[in-house]
Amino acid sequence: MKTMKIEKLLHKLQAFFDTEKHRKMQHIQELKKVLLKLKKKERKITHVLQQANDDCLIRHYQTELEIIRAQRKKGIEVLHHLKKLKKS
Amino acid sequence: MHKAFLLLVIPLLSYGFWLSEEFKGIAAGVSIFLFGMLSLEQGFKAFTGGALERILQKTTNTSWKSFGFGFLSAALMQSSGLVSIITISFLSAGLLDLVTGIGIIFGSNLGTTTGAWLIAGLGLKVNIATYAMPLLVFGVLGIFQSSKHLKGAGYLLTGLGFLLLGIHYMKESFEHFEATINLANYAMPGIKGLLIYTAIGTLATIIMQSSHATMLLTITAVSVHQINYDNAMALVIGANIGTTITAIIASFGANIQGKRLAGSHLLINLLTGIIVLLFIKPFGNAVDIISASLGIAASDHAMKLATFHSLFNLAGVIIFFPFINQQVLLLESIFIEKRPAIFKPKYLDVSAMDFPETVVESVRLESIHLYENAIHIILHTFGLRKRDLQESDLLQQLIGQNSRPIEYDIDAVYERRIKGIYSAIIAFISQADFTWKMDQSSKLSWLRETNQHLVEAIKDTKHLQKNWTRFRTSNNQATINEYNKIAYQIALHIQQIENFRHEIESNELPLLSLDALKANIKNDDIQMNRAIETLIRERQITPETGSSLINDSAYMYSIKKNLLKAAETLFLHSGTSAAKIEQQLTLNEAEINEVVHTVDTPSMHQPDR
Repeated sequence: MKTMKIEKLLHKLQAFFDTEKHRKMQHIQELKKVLLKLKKKERKITHVLQQANDDCLIRHYQTELEIIRAQRKKGIEVLHHLKKLKKS
Repeated sequence: MHKAFLLLVIPLLSYGFWLSEEFKGIAAGVSIFLFGMLSLEQGFKAFTGGALERILQKTTNTSWKSFGFGFLSAALMQSSGLVSIITISFLSAGLLDLVTGIGIIFGSNLGTTTGAWLIAGLGLKVNIATYAMPLLVFGVLGIFQSSKHLKGAGYLLTGLGFLLLGIHYMKESFEHFEATINLANYAMPGIKGLLIYTAIGTLATIIMQSSHATMLLTITAVSVHQINYDNAMALVIGANIGTTITAIIASFGANIQGKRLAGSHLLINLLTGIIVLLFIKPFGNAVDIISASLGIAASDHAMKLATFHSLFNLAGVIIFFPFINQQVLLLESIFIEKRPAIFKPKYLDVSAMDFPETVVESVRLESIHLYENAIHIILHTFGLRKRDLQESDLLQQLIGQNSRPIEYDIDAVYERRIKGIYSAIIAFISQADFTWKMDQSSKLSWLRETNQHLVEAIKDTKHLQKNWTRFRTSNNQATINEYNKIAYQIALHIQQIENFRHEIESNELPLLSLDALKANIKNDDIQMNRAIETLIRERQITPETGSSLINDSAYMYSIKKNLLKAAETLFLHSGTSAAKIEQQLTLNEAEINEVVHTVDTPSMHQPDR
């Protein structure tokens, strides 16, 4: 009777950890998607910047590019951290 | 109810009570029944903290789906009135279009006929008072609970209990009434009878504001042979016309769309009533055939009346449902939206007050309306129109071209385009947030702040306009250039906010785009001040003009910041999982400043080509 209860508890624990693992995996996948979108956006802005001939617009695009780079950097750091957490 | 009418009704009822014990019973039955309806409405409102609104939005994207929604909700709530009030409030809030709204009305017309079946099939055949008692006991227990949902369930059970009790009282009193007076003696044959009883049915429903109550009176009376079957049919037709009063009353506080929907409800029910009156004989025959096939006895007039009610409402749906679009055109030509001398709120509807999520959405849409007007004013100040934003290459050219002084009275336009809407929003919010739980209250508080940002942006534009008008006709080209730059940067910022709105629609990381917009505001400010300092140093402009430019550059900074803050609250949806991921990557103030500094370094001044 006691063994049954422990087994049941272990099953519940495993299910709980599996859900947690699944949640982390999903988080990583979604983050990767956002990073990919940022990369595409960076390429697009670089292209637009090359076409621009107005000083103000050029400065705006340069700022946007730098912002995207900083966001990507931040995202990659979060991704590494999440991957480490997943392994541990 | 009007006070004068009340003064007339109270003595009349009192006299009636003194005259007849049975009349007192019938009136008490109707009152208990109506009280049950109110309790039922109260119960449903407890569950409208967002769930009902979400279901409505998801299940009404086609005419047939909206018809299904109308049918089910009216059948479930046993109140087409409540369904029409909800629909009008949603329509006024811009959450539904007129086609969908009319679809719901068609569905609720048919859904509400289930009430007649319940009364005729269950109410008169079973001793329903025995069911009413436990429902009332459990219901009252629920009402005393502190949990909102348990309280709501309590109101629902109490409502149902009172409905059944009301039916029971009426049934009993009509049975006793039969012994003393026979209303059947007042039966009127022929067309005259049809018309008079239709009018009585309409009037009774308008007074009681419940077609269910009229149906209950009619079915109970016909079941004990107090009125004849033909007159009862006319009463039912009248009840169906009279029930549109709820929508008409609700539409008084609604916008033009709400009025169109109420008009549509009246039109559908009135035309259906006329058609049924014209073809009453064939309808009667069809009811006999259908009733016989359903196993309803020829003498069971109560059940036959329920069949008749369903049949003619179904006929209304079959005849008019395919012509929804034509109805919309007709209603739009009858209820014409006038271009207002003073802009009025479009989405604030008092009838939405009972639905917290709808109130928040109404205020958001109204604030967007205010935002559009604010943009209109700001752009017009600089001689631009919103359509000019589509051609970004030409923006600078357009601003430079127009060297004539622009006569634009911001105070007058503010009175016309902003003040009415702004004060209505503030009044609406303060009327609403006293009674509500935190979630909706905080959303409303953000929206209130958003409106303040918009008003601030207009005030800053007004301050800026003074020097903009003065210096644009100056002889100094450098001054003109700087003022043109201010106008250009504001227009460019508005254009970028428009792009940001498109990014939200196409889900192109809008939250992350905000960082770039914030950085650009800071960067533009630094560049502007630096350019002004250089111009003063190089004596291209006088220090006096320079100080004016610095002040006006600060106004530009404030306008851009206020508009961005408003856009952030109005257009961004932060609840999605993608938004949560984006939130992790957004930059804080220090990180944005660092980027601005990087771009501002001399090496970055030349474009990387």
